[in-house]
Amino acid sequence: MNRLSTVVARLRARYGGGPAHLLASLASIAIAGAAVLGWTQRPRDLTNVLIWFGAAIVLHDVVLLPVYSLLDRCTLGRLPISVAAYVRVPALTSALVLAVVFPTVFGFGAHQEHNASGIVEHGYLARWLLLTGALFALSGLAYAIQGRRR
Amino acid sequence: MKLLRVDPDRPPPGPFRPGFWRSPLRSPRLTAILGLVLLIGLPIVAITGLLSNDAYQPGFVDNALGRHLGPLDVYLFGWPSGPDWLYALTQGLHVTIGLALFPVVLTKLWSVIPRLFEWPPVRSPAHAIERLSLALLVGGALFEFVTGILNVQYFYAFKFDFTQAHYYGAWVFIGALFAHVPIKFATMRRSLRTREEVLAVTGGHSLLSPNPAPGTLSRRALLGSVGGASLILLAQGIGQSAGGSLRALAFLLPRGRTRPGPLGFPVNKTWVRTGLKPAAVGDNWRLTVKGRKAVTFTRAQLLALPQHTHELPIACVEGWSTTQTWTGVRVRDLAALAGVAGQATVTSISLEHGNYGQATLGHEQVSDPRTLLALSVNGQTLSLDHGYPARIISPTIPGVHCTKWVTEMHFAELSV
Repeated sequence: MNRLSTVVARLRARYGGGPAHLLASLASIAIAGAAVLGWTQRPRDLTNVLIWFGAAIVLHDVVLLPVYSLLDRCTLGRLPISVAAYVRVPALTSALVLAVVFPTVFGFGAHQEHNASGIVEHGYLARWLLLTGALFALSGLAYAIQGRRR
Repeated sequence: MKLLRVDPDRPPPGPFRPGFWRSPLRSPRLTAILGLVLLIGLPIVAITGLLSNDAYQPGFVDNALGRHLGPLDVYLFGWPSGPDWLYALTQGLHVTIGLALFPVVLTKLWSVIPRLFEWPPVRSPAHAIERLSLALLVGGALFEFVTGILNVQYFYAFKFDFTQAHYYGAWVFIGALFAHVPIKFATMRRSLRTREEVLAVTGGHSLLSPNPAPGTLSRRALLGSVGGASLILLAQGIGQSAGGSLRALAFLLPRGRTRPGPLGFPVNKTWVRTGLKPAAVGDNWRLTVKGRKAVTFTRAQLLALPQHTHELPIACVEGWSTTQTWTGVRVRDLAALAGVAGQATVTSISLEHGNYGQATLGHEQVSDPRTLLALSVNGQTLSLDHGYPARIISPTIPGVHCTKWVTEMHFAELSV
């Protein structure tokens, strides 16, 4: 028992964490290794999969996030504080919805979709704009009510 | 190592200095709230995803699509044949909750971005390995969400096989999550209990800006905004999954509409797309059923066999479902006609040789009286898009395994 605690103490001193931390972290890396082995079953796909995975790690944090933060700072960030929230809330909601449905809204999958379902459908962009308009209208209504109370 | 001198007290200018991050919204409490939502939601997405893998029954060679089952290919049990809404529910949850959680994931990543630039970058071996596992967590999450979101909208920007990439990618994510949650669970609980005013007094926190910009949005408004986006996306998923009158809810997704008429319900592959000639399904079409012996049927002969009608869903891996009334011959009756008596699996082969041009159903499906070789639907002869002259329909199996334009069925008896 004493020896075990010495080992753990030494681990903490050298490694900087407890044995559970080491095991959990190593397990996650081992599972990732096994997943890469799984991907190698399609050798022709492997490079592309790894590129996409690497992009998933890097692109969001060092490209997308700085870009949307800057965009926000240059536009909504300049609004007077009294109205900022009423613009930010609907804008953010609409943007987050778009982050998910942008392929449909911009018709990026329309050709494949037609092949699959036999349906050609237009007007998604108009629907998203309509949704955005409705969100801003709701927010405007909230602003008006708030203003009357004040 | 001496070349790269890192002074822990003097971070380089820019994002490495805490003062760079000025949003007053970032706080351990915000991160903890978002973390809690993900802690509840992500396991649902992960478990239903693994169940979907099970529903595909990749243990059968025809269903594996070139996959050799390795250590990560959890294949726990045969896929049950009921209740008939099982796969529509599990896959509907997988896609719907996945869509709805993406705004939360993005907000969570935004909330912890200062930590990416913490200084010094590495404090100890434990810290280094934890950061590596965090890279796997973030990469795994974004890879899974992005590939899934693109796939359900037919935007095949990625040049790889979706199923395999998404399945093993899920394991990278699940593995990293299993490491992340125990390490951070106590932090989350503490952050949910502690008020920020206390933190400010006790010396701040790496997620609290030391010189926050004037606030323009309350935390409640931010969470409301993110929650609103999630609710709108939840409605999209529910619409395409529940179908019927609710389908119109999916007004921003491809499966929000159907074609008119009793045969207008959705398909995943049109006849035109198969490139088959009409003669292939003309009078010369035959169905060959092989078991202990081989039997060949014309469509008229199949129609002369006892017909059975069941209301069954087609549930697609993309998260949409549609329940219709199918009429046809019981697959187990066909097994009997081919001399198969005991438990058996069946591989149905389509005239169309593409991915999923053939699929195997387990003995659970074959023995279920509702598993049909359907000849008509909603009281009408199958249309070409729905698999005329004959197609498989069975409760609980992924839609793509309900083979259309069937030309051969091979029964394989299980050795008991």
